[in-house]
Order: sequence, then structure tokens, then C-alpha cells
Amino acid sequence: MTEVTYDVDDDTIAVVEDTNLPRRLKDDVYAELEGREGATVEDADELAKAVETRYLGTRVDPLDPVGTVSAQSIGEPGTQLTMNTFHYAGVAEIDVTQGLPRLIELVDARKTPDTPMMTVHLEDEYATEREKAHEVVWNIEATKILALGDVSTNVADMRVQISLNRDTLEERMITSEEVAEIIEDNLGVKTVQKGTEIQFGPEEPSYRDLLQLVEELRDITFKGIEEVSRVVIRREEMSDDTEEFVLYTEGSAFGDVLEIEGVDASRTTCNNIHEIHRNLGIEAAREAIIEETNNTLAEQGLDDVNVRHLMLVADMMTNNGEIESIGRHGISGSKQSVLARAAFEVTVNHLLNAAIHGEIDELDGVTENVIVGKPIKLGTGDVDLRMGSTTSSGRQAE
Amino acid sequence: MVDVSQHELVPEHTILEEEVLEEVLTEYDIDRTDLPKIKRTDPAIPDDAETGDVIKIVRNSRTTDQAVVYRLVVE
Repeated sequence: MTEVTYDVDDDTIAVVEDTNLPRRLKDDVYAELEGREGATVEDADELAKAVETRYLGTRVDPLDPVGTVSAQSIGEPGTQLTMNTFHYAGVAEIDVTQGLPRLIELVDARKTPDTPMMTVHLEDEYATEREKAHEVVWNIEATKILALGDVSTNVADMRVQISLNRDTLEERMITSEEVAEIIEDNLGVKTVQKGTEIQFGPEEPSYRDLLQLVEELRDITFKGIEEVSRVVIRREEMSDDTEEFVLYTEGSAFGDVLEIEGVDASRTTCNNIHEIHRNLGIEAAREAIIEETNNTLAEQGLDDVNVRHLMLVADMMTNNGEIESIGRHGISGSKQSVLARAAFEVTVNHLLNAAIHGEIDELDGVTENVIVGKPIKLGTGDVDLRMGSTTSSGRQAE
Repeated sequence: MVDVSQHELVPEHTILEEEVLEEVLTEYDIDRTDLPKIKRTDPAIPDDAETGDVIKIVRNSRTTDQAVVYRLVVE
């Protein structure tokens, strides 16, 4: 018998050890009994039995096909998902892929979502003062030249002329000198800067080069993060009745945003599970997959899908420490059985490759047994029933 | 660098001691390689974790109060 380190009497130990509980739960029961003054053996028995009932109730039945049940439970409401919707609950100005396309994108583990976005929470005074919040916005939103001033081309002198807007410069916390320097670094040209006027041109007078320079000038990001094309600022009510500013971005660069001053790195999230994986690790990615799939379903009024099914999907996708897609390139493609893989997608390729490599199918799984017409080893398919006789007292006959 | 462990999506990661690990493996009747994996380069992993260590992760579970899971550190 296992050593019990808790201060309980032998009868209690006998009662608890008799239950079908795992070690940890038994220890928890002992700890509870130890803490209760004057708990009798009957109390102990009652407690242990109650815990046992709850414990057994939470367990999946042996040989229960949990994956199939999950697939059906997500698949059925999946038929009711919209084929294509483009809007986002809460922030009307930002378009976000929803419904079926989003769900497919998640389980396929696409490298970048169709419409990447971030929800940026702010800390301290940045969250409460609009001015401060705007400071963060300018550090995130990509600022292009057209936002800073006017660009014109002087064809006679072969010069590009920029006249910057002083107020905008001040608001976005960037100086004319900085703008000129960024242009020099990016385009490799000499600039002439005087006040808010900047001039430059191609080395050799060439009309084509001039236009080329203007094109390139438009693409330069002067401030902020290149991937983020737009930031929407919103005042939101928090659960504890306070109000704070929250930023929603079109485009995402999760790692960069976390470093920016004023950004609350403990609550900020994005909708790209790969970025979350890269910056916060596999466990956070698992959490994000559950959250995102759950929200996608909830958005369409299908939140009655049990979260355990989504958790199973997320667990499978993150099982090997990296995000794996569900499908031919991911989980289904790494199945052991040739027949199971062939039954999923690109049948001929799988069979051909298996034949070339002389693969052997052990017929352990579901699909392959359906194909060859054997009972599958799940549920009642994996137990043998034998006829037997019992005596009238209910005891097994010899 | 941002302190990753402070993020609300990141549960607590700790290195599991060898003896405790043995108990866990016996309880579930599995080998260490049967555990889910976590990369050595994972940002949430404790700094002194080596390949072959087992990380104990305490999640705030949606279905119960807290859920304890384990991941094996791999290259």
C-alpha cells in the first residue's frame, strides 16, 4: 500500500484508497479531511465517494472516438456558417474575415490571415488620456509621405519637391531633418532641406528616374510599423466600470508592438496564431486557437459548440511544439496508415509512394479498417463479448 | 525584451523535477516521449530548461479551475 503522509487514521486511509481515484485526487481528499476537525470514517467515505462520482463523470468513456465526435460537433454548425462576411463586431471601420473562411484559415494554420489585425491595450496614463493614446498610435501606424505633406515634380529642373505640413510633423513627432535623412537612406540621393521644404532629384537628368524616385518615395515608411496600415482608436468600457482607450489595427506586427512604450504587453493580442506562437510560445498559441475558433463560432450565434471540442483541435494542432495544420500537409498527412492518408486527399500519390517505399499498413486505425471491411477498434468494436452463465445468486459460475 | 510570462495568454511554465516526473509517468502509464512537445526555443520556457526536461504547465482551464499539463522539451 502506498505511503500516506497525511495525518489521518487507518480506517480513513482504507476507505479512500478503496476508491478509483488517481493519486493526486486521493491526496487532495486526505488534505481536505486533515483540515476538518473531527471528520469520521463515514464522512471520509461520503467525501471520497462524492469525489469519485464527479471524477468518473468527467472522464471520457473508454474507446470513445473523441476525434470523430469533435469533428461532427464542429462540422454540423459549420454548415450554418456564412460563406463570406466581412465586418468586425465592435469596430465597424475595420474589416475582418469572419465565418467559414476564418475557421478554415485557422485550422489550415495559414502563415498570414486574410485580414491581419491587432487589439492593442494600453497601460497607465496612455490608456486614459487621449493625447497619450495618440502618441502610441503614431508609433504604430505607418506614416507615408503623403500624410506628411505635398509632393510635386519639377520636370524642368528634374527635381522632386516636398513641402511638409508643420502641424502634421509636430503632431506625429517627426522633424523635417529626420524626414530628409530617411529619404537619403532609403533612396540613396542627396537632399536639400530648408525648413519644411525638401528637394532632391536623380543624379543624371532622366525623366524615368525622376518618376521612379517619386514611386519609391511613396512606399517609404517614415514612422510607425510598415505592416500596420491603419489604427482605429476607441474608448471602451472595461469590466470594472472604468473606461480606457483601446487601439485596433489593420495589419499586424505583434512582436514590434509589444516593445512600444505605452503598450500593455500583457493584454495586447493579434489574430495571427503564428505571430502569437513566435512571440509568446506554443501554449499561448493553443490558447489563441481556442479563443479564435470559439469567437468565430460565437460571432455567428453558434456558441453552443462545447469548448472541449475546440480544445481537442487546439491540442492536436500544438502537440509537437509547433503549429500544425489539420489536413494533408499537417496532422492528416502524418498519419501512420497509408490507406488512411490515401482516403483523405490525393489518393494516387499516397498509394504510389507507399508502393515505392514498400510501406506496411498495420490496420490499426478507423479509416483503413472501414476500407478493408473489418470492424473498427473503437467503442464496442474493440471488446469481445463472451456468453456466460450466472448462478441465481448472481455470482459468476465456475 | 518583453516579459512573456506576464501575458495573459501565457500560463505558468516550470521545470518538473525528475522524481515528480517519475510519479506522473507512472500515474498515466506512459513514456516521457509520449508527452506533448515544446521547442527548446519557445519564448515562454524557463531560461535554464534543457532538451529532455519536462515542463509543467498550469493553465487556467475553461472546463475546470486549473489544468496541469506537461510538455517535453525538444530541439
